[in-house]
Amino acid sequence: MSTDTTAVPTVDRPRPPARVRRRSRRAVARSAAGDRSLTVLLGLVLLGAGALATLLSYGIFGTGRARRPLLDPVVVDTLRAYPLPSRIIGIAVGVLLTAIGLLWATRSLRPERRPDLVLDRGPDTAIVVTAAAAADAVGEHAGRLPGVARARARLVGADRTPALRVSVWLAENADVAEVCRLLDEQVLAQARGCLGIDELPVAVRLELDRSDSTPRVA
Amino acid sequence: MRVLLRVLAPLLGVGLAAVGVLTVIEVVAAWVRPVSGRGLLVPWVSWRTTLEQLTWQDNPVRYGAIGVGVVGLLLLLLGLVARRHDVLLSAPSPEITVTTSPRVLARIVGRRVRSTDDVAAASVSASARKLAVRAEGWSSDAASNPDLSRAVRARVDELLDELPLARRPRVAVSVRGRKGP
Repeated sequence: MSTDTTAVPTVDRPRPPARVRRRSRRAVARSAAGDRSLTVLLGLVLLGAGALATLLSYGIFGTGRARRPLLDPVVVDTLRAYPLPSRIIGIAVGVLLTAIGLLWATRSLRPERRPDLVLDRGPDTAIVVTAAAAADAVGEHAGRLPGVARARARLVGADRTPALRVSVWLAENADVAEVCRLLDEQVLAQARGCLGIDELPVAVRLELDRSDSTPRVA
Repeated sequence: MRVLLRVLAPLLGVGLAAVGVLTVIEVVAAWVRPVSGRGLLVPWVSWRTTLEQLTWQDNPVRYGAIGVGVVGLLLLLLGLVARRHDVLLSAPSPEITVTTSPRVLARIVGRRVRSTDDVAAASVSASARKLAVRAEGWSSDAASNPDLSRAVRARVDELLDELPLARRPRVAVSVRGRKGP
């Protein structure tokens, strides 16, 4: 195995800036931060409304208030006294809810971006490597490493800041550290060299190959 | 939990949007058409008479409020729990992030623990911080055998030395005897 590694000379590259490391960390998986924060927000609103209504209903804010109807005549009279502001507020709330809801749904249903790699952008021509081509090349190369059963790669991130996500299925008794090292020194170094990009943040996901599952009882 | 969030998030978004659209339509309809006594899409006039008759201390209101609170609590918990539980490995170069799942770590450890003859069966649960190994010896008094526990722990420690984990998890080993004949 050591003979494989000596064939490729290791190039001393400058230490990548912190933002490249952040991008590689972000490329690990699709972010669910938006979904999570909106769900938490909606949960907080519903929890607060439910708790307040329950307290009101059990007479914590006074038994007289608990005996009043749900649609209080005072509220209805106020709305009738100011018809235009209440209509405008109603429409604004409706438009706001619609916008938030539609944005939320489209953002979470939209498939993850696969940015193409733009190698050289001239005034009227550009050299572009499609996301699928670059990812397939890396995935196929990574799959041939010793200790790797199969591998898959894809490009993620924004158009200007692409990153690579490589999923590696380890074979039985694979040396994890060795696989990581070979992946960096051979596959990713070659990918950077061929594509001519200095900054290519990479997230590697290690999995175990399914076929090698041993019985639980020896 | 992340799968549930992925499924639920678009549905919640569409639900919010539907409520918003209905609100706008009804407000505009009530504005444009003078009181005709009925709603356009939502029968809000009959809702209004119901709401005027219900008081806050009526049982349906009480249960409805508790229900809304419980749904809110569940959504809150779902949003908080649905984070990633990746196990981070130390990468060969700084622009690479290597991760794996707790399940994979548990399978690697389990395979190593089961690879010797003195362990009849083992189950492993893993996270980035903690590794719990429950091994089963062949003899029924294996639980009182300190050698087996020590051997399993040594094997796990040896494996953790080989794996380039960014953070070494705490290891808890428990040993019990084989049940049955």
